[in-house]
Amino acid sequence: MLNFLRYPRLLTKQLLIGDWLIILLSLLAVYYLFQTLWSNEHAAKVQIRIGDKIYATYSLNQQREIHVHGKIGDAVISISQGKARFTKSPCNTQYCVHQGWLTRAGQAAICLPNQISLELLGDTKPYDSLNY
Amino acid sequence: MQDQLVTANCTTLKSAIISPMRYLFLLLALLLSSCFKEPLYHSQSYVFGTLVDISIYGETDEHARFLANHILENFQNLHNQLHAWKLVSENKLGELGQLNAAFQEGKKLTTISPELAAILVDATALSVKSNGLFNPAIGHLIGTWGFQRDEFTPIEVDEAAIKNLVHAQPRMTDIVIKGNTVYSTNPTVKLDLGGYAKGYALDIAANYLRHEHVKNALINIGGNIIALGKHGENPWRVGIQHPRSPTAIATLDLPDGWAVGTSGDYQRYFMLNGKRYCHIIDPRTGYPAQHTQCVTVLVPPQPPNQTQAGVLSDVVSKPIFIEMPANRNAAAQAFGIDNFMVIDEQSAIFVSSKMLKKIHWVESGVKFSTLP
Repeated sequence: MLNFLRYPRLLTKQLLIGDWLIILLSLLAVYYLFQTLWSNEHAAKVQIRIGDKIYATYSLNQQREIHVHGKIGDAVISISQGKARFTKSPCNTQYCVHQGWLTRAGQAAICLPNQISLELLGDTKPYDSLNY
Repeated sequence: MQDQLVTANCTTLKSAIISPMRYLFLLLALLLSSCFKEPLYHSQSYVFGTLVDISIYGETDEHARFLANHILENFQNLHNQLHAWKLVSENKLGELGQLNAAFQEGKKLTTISPELAAILVDATALSVKSNGLFNPAIGHLIGTWGFQRDEFTPIEVDEAAIKNLVHAQPRMTDIVIKGNTVYSTNPTVKLDLGGYAKGYALDIAANYLRHEHVKNALINIGGNIIALGKHGENPWRVGIQHPRSPTAIATLDLPDGWAVGTSGDYQRYFMLNGKRYCHIIDPRTGYPAQHTQCVTVLVPPQPPNQTQAGVLSDVVSKPIFIEMPANRNAAAQAFGIDNFMVIDEQSAIFVSSKMLKKIHWVESGVKFSTLP
């Protein structure tokens, strides 16, 4: 098995142009699949920020309720099968709760009064910042 | 080809794969490590009663943190200076709050800082350009609708008070500025720079970073964004919020010096009898504009000694939001803005032809109309 490491020239001798083509094509295929399947907006994690600090990052692949303490009180964040949302918030407007489930990377919900934000993270960021 | 593979014995095949794989792994490891070392500093803080998001690219973490903290300190000071109704410290209003109190007392001459004087001169010029639709003098109206509070709960609509305030016509041109002294000829003028201050702060931050020789940064104050340079090899990319769901409707690349601003009915509003009342008030009627969900404007860098891109990105979206559909183009043109997008109360999307070339829809098959 180590023949090729000892005598690398065997490689060029025994593999013909077609073999190299196959290797090249499969590398291209791997690259293409990476690009299409890996770098889309699939979200894997949710990042919770409180104030100017990152509080925690959780996998979305679980069923869980997280109780966090914000500036004005306790909020509840739910994670369920690839989604996350505010389910309870002490703020008056409840805008954060009304945002509902976040499902895709880059989506965010912010509770301004309580200074808590959720952001779904994927393998790539669809944008650097959100205009709203 | 097939034959060749079959004739090659098992061991040779394995090694044939393993050897190039080593290089591939090495390459991958290199790529990954370069990814993790991306010189991007990112911070989020709550200032200006909103979220401030600062990204700085290409500086050491330590230096970037120093710069970001300086910007945030500046923002906090500006916030205290320009806040229309909050007490800065116990029983003490900020500079704008004190000026409003003086206006209410009548023609009392008040000395203000050169900075505030310059802001008022600029805001007055912009208000005139917008035919009074951008009107920072209607602070009393905004207060009557309950939007000068931290929370926006439904109010009893006080029709009489609204009618009186519309009739009194508080306008920016009622303010007389002589050097650093100022008075108002109309006691119903109450300044609320809510549609100006964030954009102004963007310009201040961008100028500060340029002065510190920072090439690449992205600053977002409550949704208003300005870009410096690029994010590495690529331009800074921003998402535009969908007005009715927690997702981006489109993205666009923000070139060096450009700013983007959105006015929406989904950030500050309350619902009353099934109707949405947002914080953007038509000074002509005294009522919130209800025929628009959001307006996004994209502003190129402006010549020096003129209103800068940040302020324009904050201001220009308001007259377009309030103006009737037929006049939206004219409202934008009055400020020389030709990149804008409007989503109306039926969720119909209108994009200016120049803006259309710059935005990328997040979902495919978005229906929209193009404005000439």
